[in-house]
Amino acid sequence: MRAQLSSELLKLRSTRTAAGLLGALLGLVVTAVVLHGYGVPSANLETPSGQLTFLVGWGEVLGSLFAGLLGAMSITEEIRHGTIRPTLLVTPRRGRVVASKGLAALLAGLVFGLVATSAAVVAGRITLAARGLDVTLDGGDYGLLIVGGAGAAAMWAVIGLGVGATIRSQVPTIVGILAWVLFVEGMLVDNLPGLGRFAPGALGQSLSGLRPDTLLAPSIGAALLALYALAALAAGSVMTIRRDVV
Amino acid sequence: MNDHESFEVGALTALGGSMVTVNNVTKRFGELVATDDVTFSLQPGTVTGFLGPNGAGKTTTLRMLLGLAKPTSGEALILGRRYAELDEPVRRVGAVLESNDFHPGRSGRNHLRVLALAAGLPMSRVDAVLELVALGSAAASAVKTYSLGMRQRLGLAAALLGEPQLLVLDEPANGLDPAGVRWLRDFLRAFARAGGTVLVSSHVLAEVAQTVDRVLIIDRGRLVADSVLDELAGRGQTLEDAYLELTTGASS
Repeated sequence: MRAQLSSELLKLRSTRTAAGLLGALLGLVVTAVVLHGYGVPSANLETPSGQLTFLVGWGEVLGSLFAGLLGAMSITEEIRHGTIRPTLLVTPRRGRVVASKGLAALLAGLVFGLVATSAAVVAGRITLAARGLDVTLDGGDYGLLIVGGAGAAAMWAVIGLGVGATIRSQVPTIVGILAWVLFVEGMLVDNLPGLGRFAPGALGQSLSGLRPDTLLAPSIGAALLALYALAALAAGSVMTIRRDVV
Repeated sequence: MNDHESFEVGALTALGGSMVTVNNVTKRFGELVATDDVTFSLQPGTVTGFLGPNGAGKTTTLRMLLGLAKPTSGEALILGRRYAELDEPVRRVGAVLESNDFHPGRSGRNHLRVLALAAGLPMSRVDAVLELVALGSAAASAVKTYSLGMRQRLGLAAALLGEPQLLVLDEPANGLDPAGVRWLRDFLRAFARAGGTVLVSSHVLAEVAQTVDRVLIIDRGRLVADSVLDELAGRGQTLEDAYLELTTGASS
């Protein structure tokens, strides 16, 4: 399993996919925080929960989304380019392949989450200072944002892997993840908050302490999101084991 | 003698010396019968050509042998075991199924390192196989810059990483230049002389006739010939005569 993990980590390092996603994530987080820092009414940026939800929380949201895309692409790119064949010839125990991909995705997702939330913190402080607003977030808030954001992104990467291993085709997988995170979840949380807060994106946000009035407590969110990740990994594993590789 | 060797000697003896035994393998995709009751075995020290029109079931058979697809019925075994049950499969079997199973942005060397890491092989094997297929100078370049012939050689390098006893190659000469074709033929003959087993599919019958000891011909999912090449010649038939007589020619 250690051999497979080091192979999976080299796969992530030896193409531009992961680095490109990380660079795009970093640019998008800074852009989102700066634009919202200028556009959101100042009344919404005075309380700690307002600064978390409307400003630096973008680090968690985008970090988890991109981690999910990376996790998904870690399997769909192999299927698309055919490297899944040599991968399975070396390691015919497919459950072991999916498990080591899950571990690699978890680690990469942690990095994505850390980078995204840290960048959001820095960009948020600079933007607030430039606008002349006080920073009302304290070290505990930042700690929860960064640790929670890293954890959420790590689990989102595993969820993405499970979705990718189940759908297999790259474009529908990516479109599906984007549509879910950007549209379906927003509508669910806004219109049916009682249900929407149990959706995986909302659970990720709860880990970082975003929207505490609507979303669950971080610890409960973490436990439920971990269940999602395990279920997605199990589904991806079963689908990979059962189906023929063409 | 280590455990693997004693296992292999035991298995080979028990199997009557067969490296590969395919027993009554049938694969259905809904109504379509891709392979129909295919049975053959392969002996160490031989090169076997696997011939048939496009869509006849060659690749499906190879996939089942390599554990990528499950037979609907029957079994395809290597050293008496299903592929997934082999310990250290890359030390037993090297296979190339498609000529382009690479990430275009990954270098040839990293492609091999990824596989060597997963197989627990030392990185010195990566350099050894790169040198063997003469790809050393291009190893640091992304695969998307490779010609078809270079991709074939990289695929073969990956198959040879674990110094396997059985090589399974689907159309390995496709895209090779004349010198590459000669090199591959000599390599496969030498591999078999050293006790290795080779199964190679091809459409290039003239090349097959120069390389293999034996041919399996499959047509519409059924094995229609399993002959030593010399037997065909003894009947006054060329390989091409036999092939065209036995197959429908209605290639897709």
